[in-house]
Amino acid sequence: MREADTLAGGFPDISGMTLAHQAHWRRWLAAAAILVVLVAIGRAFANGQIEWAYVGRFLTAKVILEGIVNTMVMAVLAMALGIVLGVVVAIMRLSPNPVLKSVAAGYTWLFRGTPLILQLLLWFNIALVFPTIGIPGLWSARAVDVMTPFLSALLGLGINQGAYTSEVMRAGMLSVDAGQYEAAQAIGMGRLHALRRIILPQAMRVVIPPLGNEFIGMVKATSLASVIQYPEVLHNAENIYYANSRVIELLIVAGFWYLLVVSILTPSQMLLERRFARGSLQIAR
Amino acid sequence: MTRPLVAIRSVSKNFGEFQALKRVSLDVRAGEVLCLIGASGSGKTTLLRCINQLTSIDSGGIWLDGELLGLREEGGRLHRLTPQRIARQRLKTGMVFQRFNLFPHKTALENITEGPVQVQGRKREDAQAEAMELLRRVGLAAKADAYPAQLSGGQQQRVAIARSLAMKPMLMLFDEPTSALDPELVGEVLTVMKELARSGMTMMVVTHELGFAREVADRVVYMDHGAIVESGPAADVLGAPREVRTQSFLSAVI
Amino acid sequence: MTRLSFSVGFAALLACAIAQAAELPESIRQAGVLRLTVNSTYAPMEYRDPETNELVGLDIDLANEIAKRLGVKIVWSETPFAELIPSLQTRRADFIISGISDRGSRRETADFVDYLATGPQFFVLTENAAKSAIDLCGKRVGTTRSTSFPIEIEKWSRQNCEAGSRPAAQYVPGENSIDVRNQLKQGRIDAAVQGSETLPYAQQQEAGKYRVVGEPFSTGYQGIMFRKDDAALREVVTQHLAAMIADGSYKAILDKYGLSANAVPQPMMNAATQ
Repeated sequence: MREADTLAGGFPDISGMTLAHQAHWRRWLAAAAILVVLVAIGRAFANGQIEWAYVGRFLTAKVILEGIVNTMVMAVLAMALGIVLGVVVAIMRLSPNPVLKSVAAGYTWLFRGTPLILQLLLWFNIALVFPTIGIPGLWSARAVDVMTPFLSALLGLGINQGAYTSEVMRAGMLSVDAGQYEAAQAIGMGRLHALRRIILPQAMRVVIPPLGNEFIGMVKATSLASVIQYPEVLHNAENIYYANSRVIELLIVAGFWYLLVVSILTPSQMLLERRFARGSLQIAR
Repeated sequence: MTRPLVAIRSVSKNFGEFQALKRVSLDVRAGEVLCLIGASGSGKTTLLRCINQLTSIDSGGIWLDGELLGLREEGGRLHRLTPQRIARQRLKTGMVFQRFNLFPHKTALENITEGPVQVQGRKREDAQAEAMELLRRVGLAAKADAYPAQLSGGQQQRVAIARSLAMKPMLMLFDEPTSALDPELVGEVLTVMKELARSGMTMMVVTHELGFAREVADRVVYMDHGAIVESGPAADVLGAPREVRTQSFLSAVI
Repeated sequence: MTRLSFSVGFAALLACAIAQAAELPESIRQAGVLRLTVNSTYAPMEYRDPETNELVGLDIDLANEIAKRLGVKIVWSETPFAELIPSLQTRRADFIISGISDRGSRRETADFVDYLATGPQFFVLTENAAKSAIDLCGKRVGTTRSTSFPIEIEKWSRQNCEAGSRPAAQYVPGENSIDVRNQLKQGRIDAAVQGSETLPYAQQQEAGKYRVVGEPFSTGYQGIMFRKDDAALREVVTQHLAAMIADGSYKAILDKYGLSANAVPQPMMNAATQ
C-alpha cells in the first residue's frame, strides 16, 4: 500500500500556471472578409438602378400597412385552422379504427400532393363546378358569394397547412414515451382523454420548433393568395407598381415588411418553447 | 372457501409466433401479497399486464372481484367490451411501472390528483387533500410541488405508488418496481410497499427482490416459458423449492 | 480645298448620316439576333397555341415580319406582364412588342411606336340583360388589375354614371384575362372589360357565350416600346413598319386575327393621349 502512495516522477505540477488567452485570429479574418462582402453588396444596391425615394415613399403607405395587417390576420387564422386540422387528422391517423386511418391518410396525400397555388385557385373558382352550395332544404347560397377571396384564402391555406401539421403532430405524439400512455390508461383514462391531458401536452415540446417554422412559412405563403385577389401586402404592392412601373422598389417595400414580421416571430418562438418546457431540465437557450 | 379476488383461468397469449402465456391459471385472495418470480420472457410481466388489460388475452378468462375482464358472454359467444367499459374496469386496479411513468409536465401533487379529478370527477380540493395525505404516507409531503425531473428515482416511484393509490383500487400491480433504481434507493420503495402490504392491500408484485418476497409475500409463484412451474408459501418456494427448474433459477440469482 | 470638293464631301457625309439613321445598331447587326420578350397570356396578340404549344399571335407575326426585313433572327423569351418594362430597362429585351398600351405614365423611360388602335370594351355573358354601357352603372365590372383598365373604368364611371346621378360601377380585380372571364362565368362580376383587340378571339373560342356592349369607351394605342436612348433602333423599326402598312402585309396579318378594324394608317410616336 505504501508503494501505491508514492507517485511516479517526470510529471511536473502545472496547477499553478495560468491559461493563455486565445487570439482566434482566423475568426477575425473571416468576419472581416464577410463584412467586406456585405458592404460591397450594400453599395451595389445603393448605386443600382433602384429609385430609393420610391421605397421610402411607399414604405408606410396606407395600402401597404393594410396589406401587412391582412397578411398577419390570414397567417394567424390559417395556421390556427391548420393546427386544429392537424391535431384531429393526426389522432385519426393513429386510431385503431381503419376507416379513420384511411381518411386521414387520404387527406394528407391529397393536400400535400398538389401545389398550394393550385388549391387556392380551385377554392376560389369552385363555382365553376358547384354554382350553389348549401344544405339541401335548409340553406343555400351562390358559391361566388360565399367564396370570397378571404374565405378562399383561409380554406386553401388552412387545409393545406393541416396536411403538413398532421405529420408534425403525429411525429410529436409518437415521440412521447409509450409508458406515458400506459400510465394514463392505468389510472382509467380513455384514449382521447389520455391524448388531451397527457400525450399532446408532452408532444408540444417536440412540436413547437417545427410548427414555429411552419408558421413563418405560412406568413410568406399568404403571398400566393394575391392571385385570388386577397389584399395582402404583395397584392397591394403589385397594384402600386402596376400603376407606376416601379417594380423593384415596391418589391423591396413588401420584402422589408415580411422580413420585419419574421424577425419579430423568431424570438417569440423561443418564449413559447420555454413555456412548454415546464418540468424539464432541458430548457433551450 | 371465499371467492378469490382475482381468478385467472386457462389464459393464453401469443405475440406472433412467441407463446408468452400457456393456459395459465391462478387464484389471488383478497389481502394477499403474491410475488411473481422468474427469468425475462417467462410471462410474469405479460400476466400482470393482462390483469389490467394493457395487453389483451387470446383465450381463457380473468375475473376480478367476480367480473369477467374485457369480455362479456352473450348467446354462448364471447364479445369484446367497448374501450370505455375496459377503461372503467381498469379503475379497480392500480399499476406501478418499472420506469415510474410519472407525467413530467405535472408536479408530484398534480400527478396524484390527475386521476381522481379528471377520471373520477372528484372535487379538486378533496383530491388535493387526499393526495397530500398519500404523499405523507409515502414520506414525500415536502415534495408536493416538485416536478418528476427534480426527484430521485426512488422518490419518483413512491409518487407513482401514491398516484395509483389515489384511485382507491382493490388490487395493486407492481411490475419490477425497483429494477430501474440505484441500489441505495431500493430500500425506500420497498419500505412503502411493506407498509402497503401491512395495511391489507392485495398486491401482485413481479420482482427480483427475493429478500422482499421472503419477508412480505404470502405466496411466491415461479414462472418459466409462459407457465407456472411452482407456487406456494414464500418460505417453501424460496427456501425449499420442489421443482428442479425453480432450484436452478434460485441458485442462479442468489 | 475647292468649294466643289467641299460640297461633294459634305453631301457624301450627309448621305452617310442618313444611311446610318436607317440601319440597325451595331450590336444587333453583329449578333444577328433581336432579343424580344413577351407576356404570352394575351390572345390573340401573343399566346401559346393550346394544340401545339407554339408561341403565336399578332405581335409575333408582326415582329417576325420586321425581323425578316431587317435580316435578323428573333430569340423569344417570356415574362409576366409586370416584368416587361423592367426587361426593357435592363436591356434583356431590345424592344417590347407585347400588347402593351401607350400611356403617359410609361413614357418617362421609354418611347412608343403605336401600331394598333385599341380601347377598353365592355362585354357580358350573352344572356345578361344589359343593352348599352349605361346599364352597367352600379354593376360589378372586372378587369385585369395589372393593366390600365381599372383607371379607365373608374374614369368612365365618373363621367357616365355618377355625373348622371347613377350609382358608380364597382371595379373588381382579376389576375389576367382568363381569370376575368372565369369570374364573369361564375357570376362574381356582371360585366368585364378587355382590350377590344382580344374580344374577337375570345368570342371565337367560346362561340355565343359573350356579347360586346357598346363601343370601346376610350381610344388608345398599343405601342412597340423602345428605350429613350435607342433612337436608331426605333427609327429603323418604324421605317419597316410603315413599309409593311404601305405594301399590305400589315393588313394581311391583322385580317388573320379578325382585327382589321384596329388598323392604324401609319405608325405614330407617343400618340396616345393618356
